Amino acid sequence: MRKLIVMVASVALLVVAVPAWAHHAFSAEFDQNKPLKLKGTVTKWEVVNPHSWIHINVKADDGSVVPWMIEGGSPNSLYRAGFTKDSLPPGTEIIVDGYQSKDGEHRAVGKDIVFADGKRLFLGGSAPGANGPGSEATK
Amino acid sequence: MRNRCFASTAALAALVVFMLLAQAPVAGQDVLHVAKPPATGKAAPIAPNKTYAPPKTADGQPDLSGVWTNNTVTPLERPKGLATKEFYTEEELAAVQKKERERLATNEEDGRPTEAGTAEDVHYDFSQFGLDRAQQQLSWNRRTSLISGPEGRIPPLTPEARQRRVAAAAKQKGHELDGPENRPLGARCLARANVGPPLLPAAYNSNLQIVQGAGYVAIETEMIHDTRVIALNGRPHPPQSIRQWYGDSIGHWEGNTLVVDTTNFSDQNPFPGAQNLHVTERFTRVDAETILYQFTVEDPGMWAQPWSGELPITKISGNLYEYACHEANYGLINTLRGARVAEAAKKLK
Repeated sequence: MRKLIVMVASVALLVVAVPAWAHHAFSAEFDQNKPLKLKGTVTKWEVVNPHSWIHINVKADDGSVVPWMIEGGSPNSLYRAGFTKDSLPPGTEIIVDGYQSKDGEHRAVGKDIVFADGKRLFLGGSAPGANGPGSEATK
Repeated sequence: MRNRCFASTAALAALVVFMLLAQAPVAGQDVLHVAKPPATGKAAPIAPNKTYAPPKTADGQPDLSGVWTNNTVTPLERPKGLATKEFYTEEELAAVQKKERERLATNEEDGRPTEAGTAEDVHYDFSQFGLDRAQQQLSWNRRTSLISGPEGRIPPLTPEARQRRVAAAAKQKGHELDGPENRPLGARCLARANVGPPLLPAAYNSNLQIVQGAGYVAIETEMIHDTRVIALNGRPHPPQSIRQWYGDSIGHWEGNTLVVDTTNFSDQNPFPGAQNLHVTERFTRVDAETILYQFTVEDPGMWAQPWSGELPITKISGNLYEYACHEANYGLINTLRGARVAEAAKKLK
């Protein structure tokens, strides 16, 4: 038992030494108990660091329109992958699979975002492995 | 009770191991099947080309200027199963690359589907959002870890350093969400360890620009916009009472190699708890497309021995994009507000 605790402690210290994978802890910001699926129309895409935010209008069952903000990837990476502000024009219909923010506001992390026809929104055409050794995804 | 304690400890261990694996793409079991430890490698993957004459700047310095990337999937520390094996053979490297491509082919974050409703699942698909390291320009090399030498790992902490870490963690426990000061420097858009020195790959946006002027070399890292200005004018380091997140860097040329000496770090970055960190870096342009970057890190109060590493920095096209992180840092707001809402809900119960 003691051996196990020592192992956990040393592994935990290692984790401290490894740079955090993302900008922040997603699970501190979004609620794992609040999964959601939204279908909405893009009104704005904030291409801002550290994360882009997609604003959509979602039609509720009673016909009212509810604005939502969806967190997405870093603009720098998206630009290098060939995305610009024009890649997601207002009026585009998208489906978001994600989790709501912990404070219960209409903000969510977009785990998967697809166009209404099911096509992947980002990097939909990237062939895995196409960017292998020596290749450049920025071209 | 004993069983429950064991179960929760085991679960924590499993989670920690999972997190570690998630953060070190190549450090998984896959590699262990490829390599046969403890065989040792032969040639270094990159070495200074003695016949290469780098271009010179207007004032006669070897020219390091331009936009570069240090993106790599080579982990900082060697996967434990590889023991003292420092280099892959060409065949082993090809197998590692193949595994990496297969991992990407699953098109899921880190190649592993996550279970809905778990903390690990609250995340977006990195491969979809262009954040996966392997989707950006990579410089593959045969190193099994960025840290060189037989150990290939950061040496164990001294007992004093371990004690400092434990005390700091105990002080923070239960207060992680109290306010912005309790959040990590990166989440506050203040500082990131990848800026270093040592200059290490970030999780994504591992791009940097080097600008040279008379008497100075400046290195700007895209993640997260910090610029290190290295003085070449022979001035000494400031008094030890002056501490900075990225330390104080002074440099000089040894032939075609820029040698940079950095001290005066704060104890918060890039290695929390280090109190007398000293980093030596060597930048050598080995061909038109590549800088060989070598570093040595020491702090006798932190680690019993110094540790060193190397990696190629390769040229990329395009610009460095602005990374004005703080202006739209909704993440910090959402995190803190979420904690306040959760506290209020708890009080009502």
